[in-house]
Amino acid sequence: MSDALRSQSNGISLENGLIGTKTKRYGGLERAMGAQMYVADLDFPDALQVAIVTIPVGCADIIGVDTSVADTMPGVVKVMTAADLPSPMPRFGVSHKDRPVMADRRVNFYGEPVAVVAAETKEQAEAAARAVRVDYRELPGAYTLDDALAPGGHLVQDPSDPTVRPKDPLRETNVLEGQTIEWGDVAEQEALAALIVEDSYTYPMMTQFPIEPLGFVIEPTDAGGLDIYCPVQHPYLLQRIVADLVGLPLTRVRVVAPDPGGGFGGKQIPKLEPVVAFLALQTGRTCRMVLNLAETTMSIRRAGSQVHARTGFSAEGDILFHQVQVDYQLGAYADVAPRVMTKGSYVAAGPYRIPAVSIEARAVLTNTTVSTAMRGYGCPQVSWATESQITDGATRLGLDPAQVRLRNLVANGEEFVKGDYAAKADGEWKQAVEKAMSLAHWDDPLPEHHGRGIAMAIKSSATSGLSQSLVRLLFDGGALVYAGTSDMGQGARTIWAQTVADELGVPLDRVVVVSGDTDIVPFDLQTSASRSTVFMGTAVVRACRDVRRQVREMYAERAGLPVDDFRDEPGVLVTPDGPIALDAAARTALGPLRGEFLGQGTCRLEGRKGHPLGGDASFYEFNCSITEVKVDPGTGQFVLVRHVTVCDVGTELNPIQVTAQDEGGAIMGIGQAIMEQLVFDSHGRLLNPGAVDYRVPTFQDVPLDLCTGSVENHDGPGPYGSKGMSEGPILCTGAAVGAAVAAASGVKIKDLPLTPERVWRETHSAAQDVTV
Amino acid sequence: MLTYYKAQTLADALEVLGRPDVEGRALIGGTDLLVSVAEKEDGTPWVVVDLKGIEDSGEPLVVTDSGMRIGLTLTMAELAADPDAGSWYPALTQAAGEVGSVAIRNRASVVGNICNASPASDTAPPLLVHEANVRIASAAGERSIPISSFFRSPRVTACARGEIVTAIELPRPVPGTSSAYRRLTRRWGVDLITVSVAAAVHGDGRVLLGLGAVAPTPLLVELPVGLDLDDRQALADVLDEALSVATPITDIRGGADYRSAMLRELADRAIQAALESTRRSGNGRSVRN
Amino acid sequence: MDARFATESRVTVTATVNGEPRTFTVPAHRTLLDALRDDLRLTGTKSSCTEGECGACTVLLDGKTVTSCLVLAAEVDGHEVTTIEAVSRDGATDLQEAFLEEGAVQCGFCIPGQVMSAEYLLAHNPEPTVEEIRSAMSGNLCRCASYNRIVNAILSTSKKRVSTGE
Repeated sequence: MSDALRSQSNGISLENGLIGTKTKRYGGLERAMGAQMYVADLDFPDALQVAIVTIPVGCADIIGVDTSVADTMPGVVKVMTAADLPSPMPRFGVSHKDRPVMADRRVNFYGEPVAVVAAETKEQAEAAARAVRVDYRELPGAYTLDDALAPGGHLVQDPSDPTVRPKDPLRETNVLEGQTIEWGDVAEQEALAALIVEDSYTYPMMTQFPIEPLGFVIEPTDAGGLDIYCPVQHPYLLQRIVADLVGLPLTRVRVVAPDPGGGFGGKQIPKLEPVVAFLALQTGRTCRMVLNLAETTMSIRRAGSQVHARTGFSAEGDILFHQVQVDYQLGAYADVAPRVMTKGSYVAAGPYRIPAVSIEARAVLTNTTVSTAMRGYGCPQVSWATESQITDGATRLGLDPAQVRLRNLVANGEEFVKGDYAAKADGEWKQAVEKAMSLAHWDDPLPEHHGRGIAMAIKSSATSGLSQSLVRLLFDGGALVYAGTSDMGQGARTIWAQTVADELGVPLDRVVVVSGDTDIVPFDLQTSASRSTVFMGTAVVRACRDVRRQVREMYAERAGLPVDDFRDEPGVLVTPDGPIALDAAARTALGPLRGEFLGQGTCRLEGRKGHPLGGDASFYEFNCSITEVKVDPGTGQFVLVRHVTVCDVGTELNPIQVTAQDEGGAIMGIGQAIMEQLVFDSHGRLLNPGAVDYRVPTFQDVPLDLCTGSVENHDGPGPYGSKGMSEGPILCTGAAVGAAVAAASGVKIKDLPLTPERVWRETHSAAQDVTV
Repeated sequence: MLTYYKAQTLADALEVLGRPDVEGRALIGGTDLLVSVAEKEDGTPWVVVDLKGIEDSGEPLVVTDSGMRIGLTLTMAELAADPDAGSWYPALTQAAGEVGSVAIRNRASVVGNICNASPASDTAPPLLVHEANVRIASAAGERSIPISSFFRSPRVTACARGEIVTAIELPRPVPGTSSAYRRLTRRWGVDLITVSVAAAVHGDGRVLLGLGAVAPTPLLVELPVGLDLDDRQALADVLDEALSVATPITDIRGGADYRSAMLRELADRAIQAALESTRRSGNGRSVRN
Repeated sequence: MDARFATESRVTVTATVNGEPRTFTVPAHRTLLDALRDDLRLTGTKSSCTEGECGACTVLLDGKTVTSCLVLAAEVDGHEVTTIEAVSRDGATDLQEAFLEEGAVQCGFCIPGQVMSAEYLLAHNPEPTVEEIRSAMSGNLCRCASYNRIVNAILSTSKKRVSTGE
C-alpha cells in the first residue's frame, strides 16, 4: 500500500459514528419522490433542440452534404456541417486525439454525426435532420476483429492523412496499441505439465445501458464562454477537453454536472458534447441534446474480445503456465479503450501463483461504436477465458475446481504478477473464497440438471490520481463539504456526509455535500476505477482534520495556552479541562467576528514511469463468485438457482450501499453472461439498439437466491481501512455462470452470452457427436 | 404531419379511415402504433383515428353459453383477469396475461394485437386453436371470416382500406376441451417470443395447434383425428409431420433450426399441459392455468 | 380536406392531472410523457426508451398504470392522470421510505416508475409473494439492478400496511 495514501485513520473508533452504519442515501428521498433534477429535467425555455444527421452504414466516404432543404424547414436555426468547423477538423481524445468533432470526410462508425441540426423543437430538429441529404460512397468497413486483422483489410484510421497516428510504427494496421506481460519460462513448465488445456473464447460487445440516456445542455455565456450542463462522471476532463477545442481558458468553461442516472463508465469521456459546444458558440443560443436509450446504445459500449489461451497443470492441480493472446475489439476511435486493454490484460493471469506466464494483448480498431470505459474495465473480457481454462483443467483432472483455485491463490503480500513491475496481493483473498464457498454450500450434493461453478478475479484500481476537497465548518455547527465525485448511484455523497458528520461531530442532516460544478468545487480527477472511497475519501478526511487542527490552534491561541496542551478527535476538542464539542470550541475560537473554518484536503498519487499500468495499483478489488444453475435440456434455458458474490472491501463504510452495489454489479454481470450482446450487420449497422432487442436483466431474471458478502480486515488504503468497491461482482460472473452451465450440462461453452439458444445448440451438437 | 381524430360512431370511423386522400391508422391501445409515430413525422399528412370513444362498439367482453365476444376496446389485462374467459379458453387468457408488462397489458387491446398481425403475436395462436372468427365492418356492412384466413403476411391482414375489425367471436368449446399456451423467450422477464405454441385438445377428439413466430403469419395445424395422445411415440411422429409446415427464419431473436426444434418441444409441452388440465378438472371444464 | 381534421394538427387537451384540471395545447403527435414533462413541467416522470419497454415513464391513467410514452396526449382529454408528484404531494409515503430503508434507491432514475408500479401492485394485491412482485414489476427496468432491494421494500410495506389495517 502506498505511503502516500496511508490514512491516518487507524485507531478511529467506528462504534459510535455513522461510518459503518446503514445511513440512508443522501438525496435518496428526492429521488424516490421524483424531485431529483436530472439534466433532462432542467428548464431551459429558450434552448434550441439538437438532432444528429447520420447515414445508414458503418463506413463510407462522404462526398457531399446538402442542407438546402433542411435549412429552410420550420424552426431550424442552424444546420452545422464540417464546413462550419475549423480546418483541419479539430480532434479530441484522452490517450489519442483521434476523434473528430464531426465526421471528417469519412464516417467511421454507424451513428457518427455527419451534421447537426439546431431547431426550436425536437421534432423540428429531427425532421430537418432527416431532410439533410448526404451523398456517400460505402466502404467495406472492418466490422469484426477478423476483418480488422486480415492482411490488406480496411484501415479504420486512414494513414494517408499524415495527422493520423504520426510516428506510430503500427499506423498501417488496425492495431492501435499492444502490451506484453511475461515472466518465467513457458517451455520449461510445459515439460512438467500433466495436462494442457488450449481453447479460444469470445466475449461480445455490450453496452452500458444507463436508464438515464445521454444528454446535455450547452449555454454560451455573456462573457464569451460556455456553461455545460452534463451528467458527466469526469467534469474536469470535459471542461479541459472542450476548453482546448474551442480555445477558451478554464475560467470561461463551466461544467455543471447533475448527478447521473447511471453511468457505469459510459458517461466518462466526451462524445457529442464537443460538436454541440461549437454549435452553441455559432448560434449564440443554448443548445440542448437529449438522446433516448436506443441512441445511447449507439454511442457507448464496452470492448469485446477474442482470447486464445493455453494453460498447463500438474496432476495435483498446480497451474504451471498460462499463455494468453487477447485482442480487444475497440471502436473507430481510441477513447480510453487502450487502457482498458492494458489494465485488463495486466491481470489476465488472475490472482494466482504461476511460474510462467505470457500475455500478449492488442487493442484493435474496428468500424463500430466507440468503445469506452465500463464497469470491470477490460477484466471480464479476459477472466472469461482464464477462469474457464482453470475450471476445464480441474474438471479434466478430476479435481474440485474450488480446491484447485485455493491451491494456486496467492497469499497476502505474495506476487501474482512478477517481473520489474510486479504486483502483490493486498488482502486475505482466501477468506473471500472460503466465505463464498460457505454461502454457496459448495460441498452440498446437487440434484439432476443442476450445476455449480466458481470463478475469481482481480482488478487494479487507480494507479495515480488526484482528488481535492474543501470542508467548511459553519458558525452554527453545520458543515459543507465540496467533493467533485460524481454520485451516479454508488452513493458517494452519503459517504462524504457520514465522514464529515463523524470527523467534525456535525449531525447528519446538517451536512451538505456540494459536487458537480467546476466553478465551485475543487478538482477531482474523475469518478472511475472504484477510486473515490480511497482518493476522495482520503481528501475529505484530510480536509476535516485540517478544520480540527485550525480549531485547535485558534482555540489555544485565544486561551493563551500552548497548542500541544490540546488534542483534536472526531467531533471533539480535548482541552486541559476536558473534552468539549468541536462546534462549541469552534465558536469560542472564532470569537465576536464569527465566520467559519475552511479546511482543505488533497490526496495525490503520482504514477510510476515505465510501469505498464502507469503506476502501482492503489489497491486491488478481489472477487469470488459462485453460481448454481438448473438447466432445462429441452430448450437450453436455465434458472439461476443461487448466485454468491464476495469481495474483499477493507471496511464497509455503509453496509446497505455496499449490498446494493454488490447485488447490482452481480446482476449486471449476470446479464452480460447470459443475455447481453450488441449485434452488427455486414454494413456495420447496429441491429439491436434500445430496449426491445438489447436484453438486460429484469426482476424475473435475478437469481432465486442472491447472496452478497464482504471480507472486512480494515486493511485498505482508504479512510478507516477501506478499499474501493462495486466492480468486483462483475469481474468474473461470466466464468462462474459458464462453469455452472458446464457442470450441469457436461458441455463447456466458450462464447458469451450463454443464451438459451447457445446452450441448446452446444449441448445438442455434443449429444449428436456422441450418438454418431 | 399527424392529426388526431376521435371517432364518435363506427360509421364515423369507417368514413375517415376509408378516405383515399389521407393515410389513416386506427388507434385503440397504441402500444404498437405509437412506437412508429415519431418516425413518421416527415410532413406528409396522416390521421390517427381513436376508436376508444365509439358509442356503438358494444361491450368489451361478453361470455355466454354459446361463446365469447371480444369487443373493440378489451385490453389484455381485462381478458387475462376474466374468470369465465379463463375457464373456457385458458390458452387465450394465459397468452393475454403474458404479453409485455402490466402497464402494456393495461393498454394493449386484443383486437389491436391481431390487427397488427405480427407473426409473433401472442394472442393469435390461442385464437386459432379456439377457432375464432373475426368480425369486420365496412361502410357496406359486416362480414365474418375465420381467424385462420385473417392473417395474410407480416403486418398485413384481410382488412381492406376502410374496414375495421369490430369483434373477435369464439364458439363455446365442446365439453372436455382444454387448451394451453407455451412461449419461449430469451430471458425470463418481459420479452417478445422466439417461438410459441397454443394447443387445444377438443372434447370431440380434435387436436389443434397454433404456431407463433415460425412463418410469415401465425399458423393453424390440425393433428390427425383419432390420435392416442398417451402414445408418445405416435404423437412424436405425427408432430414431426404436422409441424413441417413451419418455415422459421433466423433473426435477431433466434436461429431457424433452434426455432424448429423449440417448436417441436413447445408443441409437446403445450399438448401435455392441455391434457393435464383436462385430467385435473375431470368434468370437461378446464381449470384456469 | 374535411373540417374535422383538415389543417389542425394541434390538439387542446383538458385532463385532470394530479387532481387538478389542466388544459394544454400541443402538436397531435405529442406523447403524454412529453406533454407532462415539457408542457406541464412535471418532470418526475422520466423519459428513457420511448418504446414502452423500460417503465421509467409509468403513470396512472384512470387509475391504471400505463407507459406514458405510448399514449398520445390527445388521448387523455377528459381523463385522469396521476404522476409521482401526486404520490409525493404530502411528503414521502411509507413505500418511498421503505425504498430508502432497504437501499433500493441508487441512481434513482427508474424509481418514480418503480413507485408507481409498486403502488398499483399493492392496490390490487395487498400481500404479494416474492414471485408475484417480480412478475408484476417485470416491466420496470433498473440497470443499477436494485431489484432485490425493491422487492424487500414492497414486502416490508405490504406487511406494515396489512398489520395496521391500511
